[in-house]
Amino acid sequence: MFWQVIAANKRNTVILVVTMGVVLALVGYFAGTLVGVWLGMTAYGPEPASGGTNAGWVGMGVALLVWFVLLLAALLGSDELFLGLAGAKEVSHDTYPQLFNVVEEMKIASSLPAMPRVFIMDDPAPNAFALGKSPKNCAVCVTAGLLAMCDRDELQGVIAHEIGHIVNRDALYLGVAATMLGAVTIISDTLLRSLRYAPVARYRSSGTKGGRGLVNVWFILVAFVFIIISPILSRILYFSISRRREYLADATSARLTRYPPGLASALEKIMLSPSILTTAPRVIAPFYTVNPYKQDLEGGLFATHPPLPQRIRILKAMATGAAFRDYVKAYWDVTHTRKQLIPVADMQLGEAVGIRAPSPKAPEQGRAGDIIRAMNDFVFIPCSCGMTMKIPPEFARGVVQCPRCGQDHTVERPAKGAASGILAGASAFTRQSPGEEQTEQRVIGAWQTLTCRGCGKNIPLSPVFNLTRVTCTRCGQLIRLT
Amino acid sequence: MTGTIVFWVVVGIIVALVIYVIGLYNSLVALRNQVKNAWSQIDVQLKRRHDLIPNLVETARGYMKHERETFDAVTKARADATGARGVPQIAQAEGRLTDALSKFMAVVENYPELKANQNFLAVQEELASTENRIAFARQAYNDAALFLNNKVEMFPSNIVANMFAFTREPFFEMEDASERAVPKVSFSS
Repeated sequence: MFWQVIAANKRNTVILVVTMGVVLALVGYFAGTLVGVWLGMTAYGPEPASGGTNAGWVGMGVALLVWFVLLLAALLGSDELFLGLAGAKEVSHDTYPQLFNVVEEMKIASSLPAMPRVFIMDDPAPNAFALGKSPKNCAVCVTAGLLAMCDRDELQGVIAHEIGHIVNRDALYLGVAATMLGAVTIISDTLLRSLRYAPVARYRSSGTKGGRGLVNVWFILVAFVFIIISPILSRILYFSISRRREYLADATSARLTRYPPGLASALEKIMLSPSILTTAPRVIAPFYTVNPYKQDLEGGLFATHPPLPQRIRILKAMATGAAFRDYVKAYWDVTHTRKQLIPVADMQLGEAVGIRAPSPKAPEQGRAGDIIRAMNDFVFIPCSCGMTMKIPPEFARGVVQCPRCGQDHTVERPAKGAASGILAGASAFTRQSPGEEQTEQRVIGAWQTLTCRGCGKNIPLSPVFNLTRVTCTRCGQLIRLT
Repeated sequence: MTGTIVFWVVVGIIVALVIYVIGLYNSLVALRNQVKNAWSQIDVQLKRRHDLIPNLVETARGYMKHERETFDAVTKARADATGARGVPQIAQAEGRLTDALSKFMAVVENYPELKANQNFLAVQEELASTENRIAFARQAYNDAALFLNNKVEMFPSNIVANMFAFTREPFFEMEDASERAVPKVSFSS
């Protein structure tokens, strides 16, 4: 792996945290002094100098306290926060075996010490991101759109790219940076909004020597610190994110999968896809495989990712092998430069790495949509005409009519957590029979009409209806099919 | 005066050297552990493959009534692989099992109903993933071994490696009969 890149990312994280502490402390001190001087002149008589100095130290103390809270937030809870912001849901091997298997394969290939947690984001735009302050505790998240349009090799390429970010510690740096920046932004927005109401109270109470005026002044002080610091920090974050890290993650992906065309083809599909990620908060934009805000085609000064067409061309130019040196050579060929993309010491892997053959195409694809619906508490109602209705949780009425044959069906909501069972066998939703059971011989692969023994209703079955039982919609009679 | 300066410079150099050696030693230990870990991962995945095969055979048996030989070949190869001891024997037996499985999958192509069976698809995905995992585990092992070997052989880390008896680790080459079986095309007459 890229030992030097890993070391640099760890170093940058520490530098960032320390720099933030120093900047916060300085801004806190100056803002405190200013407020103190002003306070001394307006409310507390003629001692501006000493009052100002003390207030400066208090301001610094407040700022350092805030810094400490930010640090704790970044180190302890940021993963959950980002996953929550992105609206991601954790999946297991039972819900989506292929995705889970692909992640585990890449975990093995990259010798991660622990299995990353796997999340799916309910969004039609194809994208993915990785979180993890250490390889021991990390997560990968893909959108439903990506699952729906990628085959196994492409998915593998994208997952390997994300694992590359974890292994190279990009996820560590970004996680800490984005949490701190995000918290500062949120705090400064909140304070700015509440500040509009604060001055009124201050002017009224400052004459009566109460403590309330003092509290308001400190409140304004804290607000000032944040308002000054938040734009500075966002600049720092944007400039500190090296676009090189995306190239390195691509190189890692190619090397881990031994199959650069997989990622290339996935990136192509992502580039050509018309949908734009709707659920991505801006703070976490740098995490994604491709920038969710679609600036990647040009690549400007503030672009967090290198241009997509170039990344694709480099991967496609890797004809000779999948080693790091092959990636660098392809990079040189495509960009017509001789830039040292990968530190020389990290290139020591002397051996040639061959490209493997593509894996055979799976016969069935595209159940991703159903998996997402099942996770989001959709109810699946199979109709005897072969149609399966997928009822969203917002649907309030108890009865739904099949749009194909017009039969009425009762909507019965399962208990929470029963979602995965929906996919295994869809028979959980038929109503319990009041009368004795009826058994019919099912003719496989043909139209068939059953007559309900309870009420005499004719029930048509289409050739694709493949459940083992059916419920009469008029009387609730259960008919078993053998 | 100059004596004390020289003394402290020497002490400084010695301290720096000791720290450097400790760092190198630790990285060597970490690499060796990674090699061991990667090796155990190969074992885990081979075991996983053995566990999946009965499932596969059970699912397919109902559809492929006239393929006794294919079933027997897979079952026998599995039994051989489970019983194999020692790295070369294991590698050979696992290679034969890979071979038998790929023949089995070729036969499956003739049974479209089997290929559409949900159960079979699930087992097939697990098996395909396991084959990948074995390949990736082998790859990770060889990468780790390569890193360790580089450190053991290259200056200056080789001095530390020799001091603490770190040795080269062998690469894991699996017998792949199907790869060898590819006919060589010759254009010379």
